[in-house]
Amino acid sequence: MAIQKKQGSDRLLALAGWAYLLLGFGFLLLPIFALVLFSFEDSRLPTLPWTGWTLKWYNFLLSDGRLLEALKNSLIVSPLAAAAATVIGFFAAYALNRFEFWGKKFLSILLIVPILIPPLIMGVAFLGLLSRVNLQGQLLSVFLTHVVILIPTAIALITIRLAQMPSDIEQAAWNLGASEWQALFRVVLPWSIPGIAGAWLLSFTFSFDEFVIAWFVSGFQPTLPVAIYSFMAFNLDPSLNAIGTIIFALSILLLVGVELLLIPLLLENRSNSKQA
Amino acid sequence: MANSIPLSKPSSNLQTKTPNESSLLRWICLAPAVIYDSLLFLLPLIFLIWIGFWTVDNYRLVPGFSLSNYIDIFQQFFSKSRYAYAILQSLWVSSTATFLTVLFCYPFAMAIAFVVPVRLQRLAILLAIAPFWSSYILRLYAWQTLLNKEGLINSFLQTLHLINQPIEIVFTQIGTRIGLIHYLAPIMILILYLALQNVDRSLLSAAQNLGATRWQVFWRVLLPLTRPGIVYAAVFGMIISLGDVLSGIILGGGTGKSIFGSLPLFASMILNEYAASTNLPRTSALATILIVIMVLILFAGTKFSQSNQ
Repeated sequence: MAIQKKQGSDRLLALAGWAYLLLGFGFLLLPIFALVLFSFEDSRLPTLPWTGWTLKWYNFLLSDGRLLEALKNSLIVSPLAAAAATVIGFFAAYALNRFEFWGKKFLSILLIVPILIPPLIMGVAFLGLLSRVNLQGQLLSVFLTHVVILIPTAIALITIRLAQMPSDIEQAAWNLGASEWQALFRVVLPWSIPGIAGAWLLSFTFSFDEFVIAWFVSGFQPTLPVAIYSFMAFNLDPSLNAIGTIIFALSILLLVGVELLLIPLLLENRSNSKQA
Repeated sequence: MANSIPLSKPSSNLQTKTPNESSLLRWICLAPAVIYDSLLFLLPLIFLIWIGFWTVDNYRLVPGFSLSNYIDIFQQFFSKSRYAYAILQSLWVSSTATFLTVLFCYPFAMAIAFVVPVRLQRLAILLAIAPFWSSYILRLYAWQTLLNKEGLINSFLQTLHLINQPIEIVFTQIGTRIGLIHYLAPIMILILYLALQNVDRSLLSAAQNLGATRWQVFWRVLLPLTRPGIVYAAVFGMIISLGDVLSGIILGGGTGKSIFGSLPLFASMILNEYAASTNLPRTSALATILIVIMVLILFAGTKFSQSNQ
């Protein structure tokens, strides 16, 4: 009797859990659905009676050009900044993972801290310095500053991967006659590939979506979020939905990459220990 | 048996063998990150604090050491620009938004960790962090079209005759909070889910076997065990929302209404003041004040979590 009652309340609790999840996912995904859906709606205002399907907002987007130009800027800067941060981050993560030295703790904090400082503060700070050396207001400024905030992400993700590497592998390579550089590039680097790819993807996403720093330093070569921001000040129309849908389609492609690389990396230890 | 084969002994002499280039390699690996961060992270920050003491004359920056920015800011603290009120508004909106996000995300992460079958959990997490991969500014735009007076949510509620007048959400700080909660939730769900995954399940069943009710297991075992994760998530939420400018401008309309009145957030104020004046020294001084506030919060947060343990 008591057990039956308990099972009943268990089922009730599970049901409540599912209901809550459903509501929660509704909240989380609602704006994305709205964005995609209303990019195809005829009416200017996203209201209830559906007025008809259209592609005119996509046409408008293509003919206007401002947002596409900014998208191009973003697609130049973000992959490069992510790549630079990943390369710098890989070497730093390797050294921090392998060596013990004086000041290591301080150094690891210093290398992680840029991501903890709000981008608003970093944006003002970057502008102050870059405008002194005439490096403000270009795509190069966005590249230079984004690398700073992406390095911590890269170090963190690659460190997770390196920590999973048995140190014997590298030692075995040395004992078999490899130099340290050879071991680094032919043993450690291949091992780190999932971490490196995950780091690049996440860095790319951060950079691609970053607004405040780019707003301060990009000047007349705005990245996409900056251009959207100034676009919104003048026109609120569904071509924003259209570019949003395009971006979201791009990120779904990225997400597939993330599902394949990043999530397994983060959850690997845990799922292993659960099976054990 | 282990003794019979010498080769199977731990080869400690081999393990200590490291090639000669070690120290050189170490510095070459660390150099790019250290040099890059010194030049483009530490230097700008030091410069930021320094520029706060400069002045502007005829649209040109004048280096020097003048307290005039700070004197000016503190003179207008309660009048004219009313920075104190903006700071108050920021603290109020950020702390309530953070609290609500934790309140929303903890049960959500719990439902994923305990109700969803293990093989589907990864998919659930992936779905939960999906908004994070779409553009933040465009999500805010989508919320704006959904929440405004003619928006989907208001027209939906009106067709159902649940409300007669459209509810005002956009251009109030409620709107700001919705934007912030939606921004913070994916990462917070991930943090809290990982914290819940780390909880040893046998402790939970042990408590239950010893006669604890579900509530007791939750309040006295699960919650204390995941406390670090919660504190971590809350500090993260607080720092992000204090520094966020977009939600306050796009959904809060710049000077959104809250119980304190129609006041801007401090972060949005910094951005808008710079857009209007391009006065870098003054903006730097305001940013420095924001740094001080955040350091104080971090300090208070660590003190709080220590004193409770």
